[in-house]
Amino acid sequence: MLNLYLFQILNGLGLGMIYFLIAVGLTIIFGLLNFVNFAHGAFFLLGAYICYTAVSLTGSFWLALLLAPLVVAALAWVIERLLIQRIYHLPHMFQILVTLGIALIIQEASVMIWGPVGKSVAVPELLRGVLVLGDFVYPYYRLFLIVFSGLVGLGLWLLLERTRFGALVRAGSESTETVSLLGTNIFRLFSMTFALGVGLAGMAGVLFAPLRGAQPFVGPEILGIAFVVVVIGGMGSFSGALVGGLLVGVVQSLMTTLWPQGASLMIYGAMAVVILVRPYGLFGRA
Amino acid sequence: MSEKNPLPFAKTQSKAMLLWVLAVLIGLPLVLPSATLASEILIFAMAALACNLLLGYTGLLSFGQGIFFGAGAYCAALLMIHLQLGLFSALLGAAVAGGFLALLVGALAIRRTGIYFVMLTLAFSQMAYFVAYTLSDWTGGDNGLLSVPRPEIRIGDSVLLSLADARAFYGFVAVLFLLIFIGARRVIASPFGSTLMAIRENETRASAIGYDTRHFKILVFVLSGAVTGIAGALYAMLLHFVPLSNIDLAMSENILIMTIVGGTGSLFGSLLGAGSIVLLGDFLSDLWPRWLMLLGVILILVVIFMRGGLWGGLASLFEKVRGRRKAVVVAKEQGL
Repeated sequence: MLNLYLFQILNGLGLGMIYFLIAVGLTIIFGLLNFVNFAHGAFFLLGAYICYTAVSLTGSFWLALLLAPLVVAALAWVIERLLIQRIYHLPHMFQILVTLGIALIIQEASVMIWGPVGKSVAVPELLRGVLVLGDFVYPYYRLFLIVFSGLVGLGLWLLLERTRFGALVRAGSESTETVSLLGTNIFRLFSMTFALGVGLAGMAGVLFAPLRGAQPFVGPEILGIAFVVVVIGGMGSFSGALVGGLLVGVVQSLMTTLWPQGASLMIYGAMAVVILVRPYGLFGRA
Repeated sequence: MSEKNPLPFAKTQSKAMLLWVLAVLIGLPLVLPSATLASEILIFAMAALACNLLLGYTGLLSFGQGIFFGAGAYCAALLMIHLQLGLFSALLGAAVAGGFLALLVGALAIRRTGIYFVMLTLAFSQMAYFVAYTLSDWTGGDNGLLSVPRPEIRIGDSVLLSLADARAFYGFVAVLFLLIFIGARRVIASPFGSTLMAIRENETRASAIGYDTRHFKILVFVLSGAVTGIAGALYAMLLHFVPLSNIDLAMSENILIMTIVGGTGSLFGSLLGAGSIVLLGDFLSDLWPRWLMLLGVILILVVIFMRGGLWGGLASLFEKVRGRRKAVVVAKEQGL
């Protein structure tokens, strides 16, 4: 019994790290660009589908893991240049609506390209099988999820805290005008940040694909979960996205054993509780 | 919405506007191939109108309208199926269900403003979907709730009017729509409505004057939820069926898109928006199952080129024509 809970908690951590990748991308974009990307779930879905295509063409999951986030990020970069950059001067509402339009287009285009039925992606050969420790058994792929997304998270933290680019993003989140006045091409920074955040969503989609496959209508669900994570953790906060993501992942995993039908429901319940107790999230500032 | 969007027409035009609405209500079933399609337009126009009260007049962008629509549909259907309630009691039940859920969602979501409010309404919309999915004993889950009756209008025990005929049902929906439209106009013209617009323009200032803005926002949310609930109930009666998609996020998005495409500056815009999107969907969904893609494109185009929506476009066209006419009159008076 205890093993079962340990199993589910580990599962939850893996799931939570995927949620973290989604939410931290959303948060970085929000921090600098000051709008919420409603197409985030759609880019996640695109990552999963590109992974499926890459795996079926090349047979290598690792190549897909490398390529898919880059392709998604490149697409995001183009969209930002062509479309989103035109509407920065409008109220936030309009950026939301444009990204909602993008989400609809991506979702429907995915159905057109890959069909309305989900595609499954096999777990890479290297990670098939299970780890056996005494009477505790755990799949390698799930272990890999935790380690890999942990490393990506660490890399992202270093990028944001220790590089010039990261310094610009953080400074820009405080005041875009000042950064711009100091001679930085703020629009290039916007494009890169948008591509980075969206690329993270794409990577999350790739990592998720061997677990649940690529599903055409998963976008809104992922978007909803990402919102729950940032509402719980506090928007614009790296640690908030991490803690929120892990919390949501673990709650969802544990509930799968206790009350399978209500597992998805519980995370929204958790969100409602946080809103009541701490309206600005666990790590949010007023 | 920080963009200024005052009513393009003054009070003297309000009667003319009502005549326009009447003309549309009478014209729709004559022009369209089926009264069912006409009913669908009015039902979504009702939902868009309720969404407009939030978005256009209070500046609240809600991704939760599908919750109230679905709740109204389920509630009315369950009341009619299990308790054999009549038409008006079922509609009342739907309004109460929509309003009550709006109170819950509103009270929680309004604790945060701006972008967080928007995200919360979306999260609650997902939550409502999972609730409906989980309670499959009541809602039928993925299969939907089947064999929803369409009761007749009764007074006591005598049947006044059967709504089984599509045109009779359209007539009933049209009367309800007209009442709701007039009611909504009254609300907007009232001091309550002016306060909502003050909140839209500058919430900090409105609360500095002494208005409890949270109170006002929750109240308009409840109003919007109740109207959306009635729309949902009518939709269930129209289809004889409540699909799970009535409560999913796509429903919220559709209602929102109708409102924006129609134009948030006027209630009449909601009728335009719902009409054009429903007709477009009806026309395209057979030809091209992925027509939602086009909806995404339309949404982006409206934001970039026509932020006033269809109504805004029409209004500025009118203004131009009238401006030119006025210029001619002035020129004549000056003897030019």
